Amino acid sequence: MNPVSHMRSAAVYLCAAALVAASAAACSTSSSGNSSSSGVTGGTLTIQGDVGNPTLVENFNPFDATAELHGAYLIYAPLEISSPVNGSYTPFLATGYKFTNPTTLVYTIRPGVKWSDGTAFTPADVVFTFNLLKKYPALDTNGIWSQITGVSASGNDVTFTFKAPDVPFAATIAQTPIVPEHIWSTIANPVTFANTHPVGTGPFVLGSFAPTQYTLTKNPLYWDASTIAPSSVVFPAQATNQSTNQLEVSSGQFDWSYTYLPDVKATYVDRDAATNQYWFPPGGTIGLFLNLTKAPYNNVNFRQGISLALDRTTIAQKAVNGYMAPASTSGIILPNEQQWLSPSLHDQGLVSQSIPAAMAAFAKAGYTTQGGKLTGSGSTQASMTIVLPNSFSDWVAAGTEISTELGAVGIKVSLDEPQYAQYSQTIQAGTFDAAIGGFGGTGSPYTDFNEALNGSFAAPVHTPTVNNFERYTNTGVDAALATLAAATTAPAQQKATDQLETMIYNNVPVVLLYYGGSWGLFSTKHFTGWPSASDPYTLPTNYNYSLLTVVTHLVKA
Amino acid sequence: MRYVSRKVVLFIITLWAAITLNFVLPRLMPGSPVDAALGKLASAGVPITNAEKAAIEAQLGAPHTSLFVQYGDYLKNIVTLRFGTSYSFPSETVAQAIGKALPWTVALVGVTTVFAFVIGTLLGVYAGWHRGKLGDSSVTIGATFFGAFPPFWLGLLLLYWLSFKYGWFPIKGGYNPGTIPNWSLSFLGDAVDHSVLPALTLAITALSGWVFGMRNNMINTLGEDFVTFAEANGLRTRTVALLYAARNALLPNVTAFGLSLGAVVGGAVLVEGLFSYPGVGNLLYIAVTNHDFPLMQALFLVITLSMLVTIFIVDLLYVRLDPRVRSTA
Repeated sequence: MNPVSHMRSAAVYLCAAALVAASAAACSTSSSGNSSSSGVTGGTLTIQGDVGNPTLVENFNPFDATAELHGAYLIYAPLEISSPVNGSYTPFLATGYKFTNPTTLVYTIRPGVKWSDGTAFTPADVVFTFNLLKKYPALDTNGIWSQITGVSASGNDVTFTFKAPDVPFAATIAQTPIVPEHIWSTIANPVTFANTHPVGTGPFVLGSFAPTQYTLTKNPLYWDASTIAPSSVVFPAQATNQSTNQLEVSSGQFDWSYTYLPDVKATYVDRDAATNQYWFPPGGTIGLFLNLTKAPYNNVNFRQGISLALDRTTIAQKAVNGYMAPASTSGIILPNEQQWLSPSLHDQGLVSQSIPAAMAAFAKAGYTTQGGKLTGSGSTQASMTIVLPNSFSDWVAAGTEISTELGAVGIKVSLDEPQYAQYSQTIQAGTFDAAIGGFGGTGSPYTDFNEALNGSFAAPVHTPTVNNFERYTNTGVDAALATLAAATTAPAQQKATDQLETMIYNNVPVVLLYYGGSWGLFSTKHFTGWPSASDPYTLPTNYNYSLLTVVTHLVKA
Repeated sequence: MRYVSRKVVLFIITLWAAITLNFVLPRLMPGSPVDAALGKLASAGVPITNAEKAAIEAQLGAPHTSLFVQYGDYLKNIVTLRFGTSYSFPSETVAQAIGKALPWTVALVGVTTVFAFVIGTLLGVYAGWHRGKLGDSSVTIGATFFGAFPPFWLGLLLLYWLSFKYGWFPIKGGYNPGTIPNWSLSFLGDAVDHSVLPALTLAITALSGWVFGMRNNMINTLGEDFVTFAEANGLRTRTVALLYAARNALLPNVTAFGLSLGAVVGGAVLVEGLFSYPGVGNLLYIAVTNHDFPLMQALFLVITLSMLVTIFIVDLLYVRLDPRVRSTA
């Protein structure tokens, strides 16, 4: 969601961008000649995106939140994968699931699956995996055991019992990597276990590992092996420097890269127009989070004034080269989640800049313009300090534009740009005025809304919270969230989602601005079947289970 | 030798101060290792949650003890040379991480530092001897030009033209991806091939400092009576230039050379980063961005120690090189 975030220095990045663009223009006439070499390198799929430090450490522990070997997603299959675009499911180790009631979730486990060492995979492995997360909370990065009370197997079924109705949480359970009981039960400390000989049920197994690159080879025991196109997948360590990384991506040595490139047509596509393509779909929403424990930000009219005073098109243009559209203020990501959008919202929840409407809203909040300054009671000027992490250069650009636009309506804005760690501490403590942050991106409106807006997360100021750090409390929203969590039928889910969208649109708990991008760059030289705008089966992110979805979709070119 | 004993006492006091500062400074950085780890996830686009934070806290085992207890443990660990595990490389110890990076940096930065010192000093001698003439101006102007380049910018230019555009050199890394470091000839050749551009970047930008230092010292020394006396004796030009003038002008540069040798183990943060070179500079950058206290402490310790040791050695060398030090001591 924070596309440009790896850029360490804006100056270096601009230089590199200019260089790449110049060269692409210079050689674009001669570069489309040698595209007839399909199939020469066989079935090797090369994926850029494993962040090297600059070398890789061999650690295929699928529960280690700080391990960065994305190949683990191809080694350890989950029960099912939920598409981050629209929440639809692709089954893997389960053939399906159903809620027998809102607190009882049953997965039917696929029969005949084998671990890559030849041992049979059973429902007992699933139960073992979830109990492992219970025993070692350090492995439970998705907070599974904060939502469920038990897991048990009978026949081919695995049953999860929930503490409270939470139907959308099925996606989180479904996407937990399943590990083999016969190996992991003997591991003394699974938290620090580096797992250098991974045994999984996924379509690939570890072939070779070197500090700068590792190779996975096809798992002949995979239950659906005949549909897997690549015979091996190579993961080179990504350059630590963003400019170097961009040059490497641009040089065309990868089949799939995940990198933000400025002027992508010149810097990537035109370098081999016959095979190079990109897809930059939205993957989340970037917003201005106002601290709702402070006046005047706790006044809904004031927040509406801020929302109306901003020109989102310009902000998106400055932040991400206009690759991304202004966001719907319903909290729904368009066009990904179009089917969830409430039809009653005006203009799909988009808000255009209107200074007169903004001034009217400010007036309702008790603020009027005096001598070019927006002043409230006691003739104090409205002011805010926006905190944002200095390494996310798109947020920095957005923040600068926001401060210009809010300055124009008479608000005194200053930017505070610390390192991420300090930014994180400040927003969690709730001591900020305003912050730029990410909203949603899980593919499930419920999960997006719940994590950002559920009043139960709204800790007192100075008690840290990551979820709902703006500290929004609205009993109506909480009730609608609870209804949505318990809804098992599509119409009931749609109704509760519509309610929430309307409340978000009217109450502006977060001033949503523009969509954060997903930066997929593909080459069809060796494989086709990449996700695209016409076939958006998942996001082009290669650092989560979308990797497995995409690799199982590929066809040899 | 009062001079030597005084230097030893000073060395010990400085060492303690440096070790303590190493402990204090990283902890003054706002934000925690857990927050930094969340930042890495957020920058990858992962929606972060309280559950994620709690799990990372448990995984890192971030310290909860008081600063005094931590300081005591820290001193004990230094004496026993145990630096613990790194937060950035969860399955590696700090010693392993540094051990892997150090040889690369010592080879790359060490060789370029010596190279730049030798070439730069010789050019400085040449320019100083021919002061005001064409040779002097071309060396001076050249050194000014290249010395004014920020190293990362020169590196980026070399990278773009020689690697990306013409493909003469690899774009990044210390060796071919997929190979495991070993002592075979083919691997060494590969490593040299990968080190050409970073070495060139470091050497070119470091050269000018030595050129100017040496040229100015030369010009000062050439005004001394003993040089005029040597010339009057009819000695050969080269003998006067090298053995009379340069030998004496070299003294201040030796101190500077000692300091830059001590700084070698710190690596070259920006240039190593640009070329994704597997050295200490890159490691330091990673340690700081991840709030990796154990790794940072150990790295700063290695850097300050090598700095202090080289300064100490240079101080002792001076006793031999400069008779004036001996007489005042």
